[in-house]
Amino acid sequence: MTDDARVYEQARWSDDNRYEPLLNEKDETTVDTDTSLPDDLTRDTLTLPDADEPVVARHYTRLSQENYGVDSGPYPLGSCTMKYNPKFTEDLAARDDASVHPSREETAQGTLAVMDRLQKHLARIGGMDAVTLQPPAGAAGEFTGILVARAYHRSNGDERSEVIVPDTAHGTNFASAAMAGYDVVELPSGDDGRVDVDALRAAVSDETALFMMTNPNTLGLFERDVREVADIVHDAGGLLYYDGANLNALLGRARPGDMGFDIMHYNLHKTFAAPHGGGGPGAGPVGVTDELAPFLPSPRVRETDEGYEFYEPAETVGKVHGFHGNWLVLLKAYAYIERLGDAGMRDTSGKAVLNANYLAEQVDYDVPYGPPHHEFVASAGERDALEVAKEMLDHGVHPPTTKWPEIVDEALMTEPTEAETKEALDRVAAAFNGTRDSNADDAPQNTTARRVDQTEAARNPRLSWHALDDG
Amino acid sequence: MTSPYAPHTDDEVRDMLDAVGADTVNELFDVPDELLHDGEFGVEPKDEREVVRHVDELLSRNDDVVEFLGRGSYDHYVPSAVDHLTLRSEFLTSYTQYQPEVAQGSLQALFEYQSMLVELTGLGVANASVYDAATALGEAALLAARVEDGDTVLVPETLLDERASVLRNYVEGAGLSVVEYPTEEGNADVDTVAERAEEAVMVYAETPNLRGVLEENLDALGDVAEDADALFCVGSDPVALSVLRPPADAGADIVIGDASVLGAPTAYGTGVGLFAVDEAHIRQVPGHLVGASTDESGRRAYTLTLQTREQHIRKERATSNICTNQAWLAIRAAVHAALLGASGLVELAERCVEEPRALAERLDGIDGVEAPVHDRPCFREFAARVDDAPRVRDELLERGFAVHALNDDEIQVCVTETNADATDDLVAAFEEVVA
Amino acid sequence: MFEVPDSLRYTETHEWIDPETGRVGITDFAQDELGDIVFVDLPDEGDEFEAGDEFGIVESIKAVSDLYAPVSGEVVEVNDPLEDAPEMVNDDPYGEGWMVRFEFEDADLHSADEYEEVQG
Repeated sequence: MTDDARVYEQARWSDDNRYEPLLNEKDETTVDTDTSLPDDLTRDTLTLPDADEPVVARHYTRLSQENYGVDSGPYPLGSCTMKYNPKFTEDLAARDDASVHPSREETAQGTLAVMDRLQKHLARIGGMDAVTLQPPAGAAGEFTGILVARAYHRSNGDERSEVIVPDTAHGTNFASAAMAGYDVVELPSGDDGRVDVDALRAAVSDETALFMMTNPNTLGLFERDVREVADIVHDAGGLLYYDGANLNALLGRARPGDMGFDIMHYNLHKTFAAPHGGGGPGAGPVGVTDELAPFLPSPRVRETDEGYEFYEPAETVGKVHGFHGNWLVLLKAYAYIERLGDAGMRDTSGKAVLNANYLAEQVDYDVPYGPPHHEFVASAGERDALEVAKEMLDHGVHPPTTKWPEIVDEALMTEPTEAETKEALDRVAAAFNGTRDSNADDAPQNTTARRVDQTEAARNPRLSWHALDDG
Repeated sequence: MTSPYAPHTDDEVRDMLDAVGADTVNELFDVPDELLHDGEFGVEPKDEREVVRHVDELLSRNDDVVEFLGRGSYDHYVPSAVDHLTLRSEFLTSYTQYQPEVAQGSLQALFEYQSMLVELTGLGVANASVYDAATALGEAALLAARVEDGDTVLVPETLLDERASVLRNYVEGAGLSVVEYPTEEGNADVDTVAERAEEAVMVYAETPNLRGVLEENLDALGDVAEDADALFCVGSDPVALSVLRPPADAGADIVIGDASVLGAPTAYGTGVGLFAVDEAHIRQVPGHLVGASTDESGRRAYTLTLQTREQHIRKERATSNICTNQAWLAIRAAVHAALLGASGLVELAERCVEEPRALAERLDGIDGVEAPVHDRPCFREFAARVDDAPRVRDELLERGFAVHALNDDEIQVCVTETNADATDDLVAAFEEVVA
Repeated sequence: MFEVPDSLRYTETHEWIDPETGRVGITDFAQDELGDIVFVDLPDEGDEFEAGDEFGIVESIKAVSDLYAPVSGEVVEVNDPLEDAPEMVNDDPYGEGWMVRFEFEDADLHSADEYEEVQG
């Protein structure tokens, strides 16, 4: 069978109404309130579906068939590191022993041991001195890092007002800085798609609290001038932040700490293979240098002669999550690191970068910036990147991230990860190239839903069963 | 050794290197020599069995104790079907639904989650989750700061310290400070709230609160907030809301809480931030929203919507920095709720009223224990007065039971269907310890 | 080619104003660049702005644009139907899709010919 002969058909139920037993069987159930609760505290009725287990099981099984995951096929979604998620880590996360109440400490030595070991692994991998596991996602890690920077500057009697962010940075960088009360200064990229060192020199001042950087950047380019960047920022009294979204490119080969970064976050649901779960949960641990360790969130874990214990860092910023973050994700990432070991981690970044380079070579679209590392950004040129993406869906390939970063015209940001074989990459390339001479605007045809009307969804928001006409 | 999850053969690697004109993988890295690292971190590769044994050994160091613990993290039995259905890898290994045509499954499941919360809270909009109750409270305050004038957030003195700390971190950048109000017999002191509400952008109350007490003054608090031009935010959870009056009836503009009481184990506090809000503030909502629309063939289809609120479009003017949320756990909560159904949810909630009442009564019968401390309806947990609470806690722990010590003379006990069958033993242990 | 009526005056940020009535909207070019408009956020009657101030926002699915006051003055009328029918900005940017009416003294703005050069 040739690649061209392959046709993807996603599950779809062809009756007029979607299979929606929860909606259809939703009926009124009157709550009997003969508890000791006073009437004025309780509701009279609860209107929710009351379906039996076989119906519920079939419903969600069908829904799962209407969903595309990493196990379904290639998922080269740029910046998201959609790598294979090992199965055995799910079993570990489901262990009874893994499920303890967050107020336990002396009686949860196993949990603390995993946390302590993971902290140490991450610190070595990133070249950092101290790590907190509390932030529950990458953006939460950014926010935590910014709080740490703010506390550090204040401890020096230094109120700074600005965070500088490159124009190619993830939107979360801008939003996290603003949430912490900083003015955001956007730094235009140089002609080569990297940080413009002269522009940075002009932008820093004694108001600069932090410069946030992704390396390799979102174009997949390594910022070779990073040491000079660090000097410029540090000379101005600022700190340098590493956005860990692209760490998969450097795993076991280069470390943010060695590049001059003071603070970084790790995306355990990207680099360390915890599943994305349709949007979360993730985990965004933050690593810092010794100088910043006293400001990390509380509590931190440490090993003592008697075992493991929590303690409050001397000048802690306090809490960024109600408890200890997304423990289940931490556990999965720990098991992944133990499975790979040093050699496996180094092989991971090698294959991730090899795959991106190979795919970039096979794709007929222009790739204006290079050399790529774990990802590349192609330009759809005259075609609308969105149309290209929708057409790729019909080939059974999840499309790249589209129209971002904006400095590439009609961007197709592509990150194959290490988990694809050469054959799979050839199939992705065929899907890419098949769109080149097409001018279709009615794709996809073979997916559960045809093109979904985004305009209708936004003009007339219907966000629950209550808003559905036939509900 | 190579990664077990990078499936290339040596021949493939050679072919691919040829195709890109490189001799080795190493030379693909455009990294200055002085920045290269040898990747020696001291982690030995292991086969799967070895990792499983290693992690099992570590986890086995967690003591086998019966938890009567709550205070923001609660244990309910999760039906086996929740695992079997949500561990299907199409759900588990997908990303945020930026290509809705191939993501109808998780979109619809999240739409169901949102719909259930709309029913439970009485509010018009629920998002597809934030991280946990503490960060949901922070997001609520930031929303309030965008739509109301003022410079404080009013919270009960019973608020968990950890939540208060998260809240302070969230609101400081917006120039807000967090101000506590006192409680009387476990409920809000409404008069003091009224005195302090003038400067507030938001008044917050919890039902049940962190001492397990149901708040009986919600209507009065809602009125106070409205008179002061502040938003009224209520903290609760989907199990409690299955029997409680929808907070919107008491004037709540926002409901936050932790939906991980459904679908998730007490995984060291892993949460699911419940966030629901009045429709009037639909464009101020943080995070993902799933909406219904139609596809080209005219069939109903779901999609993320109103995305211009979010960071990937609006950057520093976004309603929040959140991107990755707790979607899979939200789906698990929805599946759990669907399995229970309305009647199952109500039964579970009733049990959360009956079990602590019964246990409090039995403990109260022991000399030296006064339970509950507040003569109020409780949910899942209650405080009890004892002499030297830390000692009582420690000695109960020696007997295999974990409870909270709140201060020198109060302990707190949480009981649900998962530990109810251990209450006889707990009572016996109490008798020994207090005697 | 996009429609640029001679009777109107224009800003470099693609707003138009009718010097006779004081009505303000966005140009045909601007609505086309934005694509399907899904939401328009407008000020209240009585609000006052200096020329160049942000007076509202217009949103498509994937973009948010600020609206800048073409003149200094007071908003004396708001086109409320846009709230429920933002598509009127796409369908009829110079007619039904007008946004607010300003009462103003004088304006230093581009003619239709000059604006055609702005939109390139």
